[in-house]
Amino acid sequence: MSAVGAAMLDIKDLTGGYGRVQILNGANLSVQRGQIVALLGGNGTGKSTLLKAASGLIRPWGGSITFAGTRIDAMRPDAIVRAGLVQVTQGKETFPGMTVEENLLLGAYVVKDRARRNAALERVYDYFPILRDKRHQPSGGLSGGQLQMVCIGRGLMSSPSMIMLDEPSAALAPQIVMGIFQTIHRIARDGMTVLMVEQNVRMALLLASYGYVIKDGMIHIEGPSEHLINDDNVRLSYLGGTVANREAKL
Amino acid sequence: MLDYFVDPIIIGVSIGMVYGLVALGISLIYSGLDIVHFAHGEIYMFGAFIGLTLFQKLALPYVPTLLLAIVLTGLLGMFIERVFYRRLTSGGGGYTVAGMAMVVSGFGMSILLQNIAFLIWGPKALPFPVPHGMPIEIGDLALPMSYVWIIGTALVLMTALHLVLKKTMIGLAMRAVAYNKDIAYLSGINVPLMISLTFGVACALGAAAGVLIGPINYVQVQMGIGILVKAFAAAVVGGFGSLPGAVLGGVLVGVVESLGAGFISGTYKDVYAFVLLIIVLMVRPAGILGVSIKMKA
Ligand SMILES: Nc1ncnc2c1ncn2[C@@H]1O[C@H](COP(=O)(O)OP(=O)(O)OP(=O)(O)O)[C@@H](O)[C@H]1O
Ligand SMILES: [Mg+2]
Repeated sequence: MSAVGAAMLDIKDLTGGYGRVQILNGANLSVQRGQIVALLGGNGTGKSTLLKAASGLIRPWGGSITFAGTRIDAMRPDAIVRAGLVQVTQGKETFPGMTVEENLLLGAYVVKDRARRNAALERVYDYFPILRDKRHQPSGGLSGGQLQMVCIGRGLMSSPSMIMLDEPSAALAPQIVMGIFQTIHRIARDGMTVLMVEQNVRMALLLASYGYVIKDGMIHIEGPSEHLINDDNVRLSYLGGTVANREAKL
Repeated sequence: MLDYFVDPIIIGVSIGMVYGLVALGISLIYSGLDIVHFAHGEIYMFGAFIGLTLFQKLALPYVPTLLLAIVLTGLLGMFIERVFYRRLTSGGGGYTVAGMAMVVSGFGMSILLQNIAFLIWGPKALPFPVPHGMPIEIGDLALPMSYVWIIGTALVLMTALHLVLKKTMIGLAMRAVAYNKDIAYLSGINVPLMISLTFGVACALGAAAGVLIGPINYVQVQMGIGILVKAFAAAVVGGFGSLPGAVLGGVLVGVVESLGAGFISGTYKDVYAFVLLIIVLMVRPAGILGVSIKMKA
């Protein structure tokens, strides 16, 4: 897979952790341009840690992270955003004292041209029309689904070439999850490369073309989504048990 | 009878504005860097001395003196943050950690700055004679121009800060950093730079306060100690971390102090601020405008 052409994101032998506690034990993962890739795994296996290493929030201990041909593992997070790689964190965190629009505009902080910022804003409102109606409301009063939209929208505001989404469907009602997944599908169709961490295994694999399963900070299984889906359910069930989730047509 | 009150109230408001400017800086630093800056009184003192030096040695007019002192002290603040406080941050990433180390180094910085000021400007209380012109006459009232300058300048600076925080991308970024540094970083904001900038702005406001108080007080090495106490009282009364609260708290402390000195006794001038502080804390422990959202402008 990763042999075909140059990968957009290429992570090799990545190690890292918090303080002295090692979480990542030599993870290898790569994402091709234009692909949606799912990163799956149980609780506390290091999915978020891997994304944080890629976005620069934590400094890797070893290995390499290459984005669009450039080593980014020693770069500051804002420089990585400027390079075109954006992470949307788990937990739907916004700036609650600010309006929806201010939250979104902050995502375009690296864009110095006001016209381009406004164009990005229009694009986000196009993906998430409800945010246009709420744009002057403080984000503190939004529902969970709308908060997630603000977070994804903020990630899109700098017009990155790749976005990493950490559990975009977590703690949301099923019909909201459907909407979010459909929008991720649209965003990818419009040319965005996506790496998506998910507990919602089946839905994620329906959306993604390739998947990785992480366990103890290492990639345990990888392969095209249809292989992983059809892989015996035993292997999938140990991912965290969302196999029997509802079927989704996307 | 009315004039009897108006006079101390105007004096109280203008002194309160000075407290408010220093308290604003303390609140900004607390919001943006998560530290309580115990050397902020010395920043105010440095601002006053720098202003005095510009005014006398370079013979600058008052307004350029004020502006240049603001800028220079702001830069000094950024230098102090970058070179000293940044070393105490987690992993050098520019995130400041609240903790005993920071409190101790704040006190250390306060002593260091006092000693440097002592070496440069000496122990004497120096006058800062600014010819502001004749007092304004309003009815029976003769309002000294220095008070008008304090109130006017403080209002301009507070409005400017409010507009920057509310209306510009830099201001938005400063508030974002105050609220959540990880998310700010992931939004593409240069977090360490914003922290420096926040610190610089806070120090610049302190310098403004120092240059404004200069003409009605003497400028001396120990002037930072008293103001720190008053500014803390102001920040807590208004709601620690709230920017409008810092201004409101400053004015309240100033007015209560001035009325107390005028009508009860001048001997206990410094006690009134604390009586106010205790009353407010009993009635509203979070302060008058206590907020959960940091750097609420
Ligand atoms: N800031 C931190 N400091 C110390 N340990 C942490 C920190 N964040 C996460 N950990 C630990 O690192 C391990 C991996 O965490 P990580 O967040 O990467 O897991 P995850 O795969 O994203 O799990 P989840 O599905 O719960 O989000 C966990 O054991 C967690 O407790
Ligand atoms: Mg996680």
